[in-house]
Amino acid sequence: MESPPKMTISGKDPQESGEVVQPAMREERLFLLLSIFIGIISGLLVVSFRMAIEWLSVLLLGSAPAPHQVRLLIAPTVAGIVIALLTRFVFPQVRGSGVNQTKAALYIHNGYISIKTMIGKFLLSALAIGSGHSLGPEDPSLQIGAGVASKIGRSVGLSRERLRMLAPIGAAAGLAAAFNAPISAILFVIEEVIGQWTAGVLGSIVLSAVSAVVVARWFWGAQPMFRIPSVTLRDPRELLAYAVLGVVGGVASLFFAKALGYLRPKLRSQPQWFQMMQPALAGLLVGGIGYFGLPYVMGAGYGAIDQAMHGQFAFKMLLLLAVFKIIATTLSFSSGTPGGMFAPTLFTGAMLGAAVGSFENHIFPHLTGSVGSYALVGMGVLFAAFLRAPLTSVFMVLEVSGNYSIILPVILANTIAYLISRSLQPVPIFEVFTHQDGLYLPSMEEEREDSHLRFEDALLPVSAPILQGSETVWNSMKIVRQHKEIAAAPAVLVQCKDGGWYAAKQQELEAIFAEIGDDSDHPDAGTPLEERLGTERTPLMFPDQMLSSALPYFRRWPLIPISNRAMRGALEGVLSLEDVLNRYQRQ
Amino acid sequence: MDLRNTDEGTHKPSEQPLNSSLSTVRRKLVLRDTLTFLTLSLVAVALYAVTSLLFRSFESHREVLAVRWASRGELLLKNGKPDQAVTALRTSLSFAPDDRPRQMLLAAALAASNHTDEASNYFLNLWESQPGDGFINLQLARLARRKANTSQAIDYYRAAIFGSWPGDAITRRRDARLELSDFLIQTGDLASARAELLVAARNAPETVGMDIGFGDRLLQAHDPSDALLYYQKGLARDPLNLSALDKAAQLTYDTGQYAMASSLALRGARLEPATAAEKSMQAVLKTIAANSERLLDLSLAKELSPRRRTEHLLAASRIARNRIESCIATNTGNATAVPPALIALKNSWTESSPQMLRKRLEEDETAQDRLTQLIDDTEIQTASLCGPPTGDDALLLLLANRRHTAAQ
Repeated sequence: MESPPKMTISGKDPQESGEVVQPAMREERLFLLLSIFIGIISGLLVVSFRMAIEWLSVLLLGSAPAPHQVRLLIAPTVAGIVIALLTRFVFPQVRGSGVNQTKAALYIHNGYISIKTMIGKFLLSALAIGSGHSLGPEDPSLQIGAGVASKIGRSVGLSRERLRMLAPIGAAAGLAAAFNAPISAILFVIEEVIGQWTAGVLGSIVLSAVSAVVVARWFWGAQPMFRIPSVTLRDPRELLAYAVLGVVGGVASLFFAKALGYLRPKLRSQPQWFQMMQPALAGLLVGGIGYFGLPYVMGAGYGAIDQAMHGQFAFKMLLLLAVFKIIATTLSFSSGTPGGMFAPTLFTGAMLGAAVGSFENHIFPHLTGSVGSYALVGMGVLFAAFLRAPLTSVFMVLEVSGNYSIILPVILANTIAYLISRSLQPVPIFEVFTHQDGLYLPSMEEEREDSHLRFEDALLPVSAPILQGSETVWNSMKIVRQHKEIAAAPAVLVQCKDGGWYAAKQQELEAIFAEIGDDSDHPDAGTPLEERLGTERTPLMFPDQMLSSALPYFRRWPLIPISNRAMRGALEGVLSLEDVLNRYQRQ
Repeated sequence: MDLRNTDEGTHKPSEQPLNSSLSTVRRKLVLRDTLTFLTLSLVAVALYAVTSLLFRSFESHREVLAVRWASRGELLLKNGKPDQAVTALRTSLSFAPDDRPRQMLLAAALAASNHTDEASNYFLNLWESQPGDGFINLQLARLARRKANTSQAIDYYRAAIFGSWPGDAITRRRDARLELSDFLIQTGDLASARAELLVAARNAPETVGMDIGFGDRLLQAHDPSDALLYYQKGLARDPLNLSALDKAAQLTYDTGQYAMASSLALRGARLEPATAAEKSMQAVLKTIAANSERLLDLSLAKELSPRRRTEHLLAASRIARNRIESCIATNTGNATAVPPALIALKNSWTESSPQMLRKRLEEDETAQDRLTQLIDDTEIQTASLCGPPTGDDALLLLLANRRHTAAQ
């Protein structure tokens, strides 16, 4: 099949418009190279960030935090005071997880994230997580990456459009380095931050994510983030057990989201002096949970996730950990302490998954799925349901496990959890946060769900007269003169021999006919009409294309013929500007 | 800024100043981009250097913590505090998660602290990466045994036997097989246990200790003939081994091979005891020797010549008669009447005339058998009605019971 002729709004081939080619090409090349640097620098910063968290954790909580250690109460409380003071007076932009801030940079601030915010995020998130606040390092890593990209983009002097697109590239790098999972990072940024697959940015996102992961692996090693026990699904009936996990995850995510959605605005509406105390109070309460028996809920909790995956907790303990992690994270996050939601989500999912696995293994001992496999699927389930990133959740599980055989349970459980969560909590949690913050960032989930009108929705049967392009101008003129309805039509379609169409205005035809007048010996009288009309053709468009994409063409063409994809030259119908506008008004 | 492409061949005189300024701009851009990337490279290198430095220090600190907690855990485990050892080893592994010996230690600590499920899960995770590891399979077998999962335990034991062992693999495999045989004996699968023991014995080093050990296990597996074989093997290696003599004598005595029992017991009794345990062993051997000798004298076996059997029958009759009379006398003093069974038994003895007895017995094998039966009945009945006998009566009862069991 021949490719349609390349057309621009102005009707010129972009190759010919040399005035824009050179700077664009320079920026494009720069963009790709910068993506690699962004990935490397973000990767190095994220490695340092993780080191800072672990160092602070050993320093503040000791190398073996255990119940009834007073430092579990003191460390997060004092850290909360420091965080509150620094957030109030030095780094006012570091509250929150980092995902919405990166989206805000993309959609509101033209890709701008200040160096101060980046440094603040690094320091305060590390202090918060290291001191035991129930938060994760992934989302801050995402914002740190975006901050690096923003700084580099500004230093290089990129155009506003490019600068805006650098933030998600950096975000992908930061997240990829934090998770040691490039595909998940790329998908998350596309699913949650950009919202669409844009070929121009995709290459850069991939490059930055890969560079960041290479750097992270250089330091931490190539092993996946979690030591996953081997997973096998021998009997398809076991999928029912995973479906139950999907239901549990969907309901749990609702509680988690409701708790955050309720407490966060309540705390933010308190007087300033009380807001200043909130991180410390949250630290004291989270520390209390640790002090009275559950130190595992403090910090990111990767160690506990590992233990849950390896069947090291009993059923009741798993449930307690899941419940108290939700409580602790709600307290820490709602208090305005900077830190992410990814790790707590994975923690809660792993505990719930392991709990469901333990229960099902106890009731149905013939099931072959280990507790670890349920914990792993549980992580993906809560990720899909709570963070509302279903595609990322599937790939994340595959990447962190390195085991493809888990794919069916993951897809099934994640889909169930996602659907339950969507129906019970229509507004995704990140969007709830943006609304609470008074921002109106685009919801990627809503955008994905939006129904876009297509040509077929507005298409009308061909009512315009049709002339054959192969007819001579003289014959065409005679046809038009003989048939009054053709002469009366505002536009005429000319079918050309090459299968293309030319939508001619009546005036256009009249001008051509006027040139030859009644002189049949005029040199142009014997010329085929399509030749006389020139080489330009009405753009080749098909019924499944977006209706909005036709709008620019009506400046040049009175009608747009809509062709059949299977039969070249055959028309499905035509569209006029009026038809398109009428269709939009009816929506 | 207009960066229109300008080829030298298409220059027009009026465009020359413009082209020259364009070249300058382009050069500046190239220079600027080069500088940008140079700067970025320097920043990346500097950041890498700092991160590497910090990371090295970070890693060494983690390693120190990992080693410290691991040694603490090991010590606690040795001191019989497995619960605390679990915490310490978990902490150690949080700093060095891939350290396999410490993972093994933690799994062992979990098992020792009776966290059977957790230990099983942990060993299973280790097993997944090394399914042929003998140690892991053995531990899993023990845990399955603890959870009363017989078939799984046997599978893991077999995997341990055929698994890889660092160091002295032969000994470890044999020990695993012996442990499996013990387990099979415990579960009552004696045939499988015997098979495992015989395979293990064939590959075992030739020492008296081993022979005695196999003999003991075979005996537990209800295989006295093979057990005796191994005790004898041990004696062949060391004829003066008191333990082997003791076990062989005991076994032959218990299986009714009184001549051999007597001979073995006498050999043992003649040795010079070195320890108190050996002295007590010798006392037992002396009793076995004496009893065996007496049992040979009281033997009523059909294999004896008619004359000899008659002699033995007459001697045994005297003992049995005395026994029933003393039993009746004991019961007569009681408030309750003498049991009818005892009276019937006494009457059976009365009917037999002592004068005619010797002649008839020598000529009639059926009479020998009848009298043997009467002696046996007497000893068994009196034992149940008048309490356990002593002396010759006890020996006759032993023979009676043995005949009774053999007849069944």
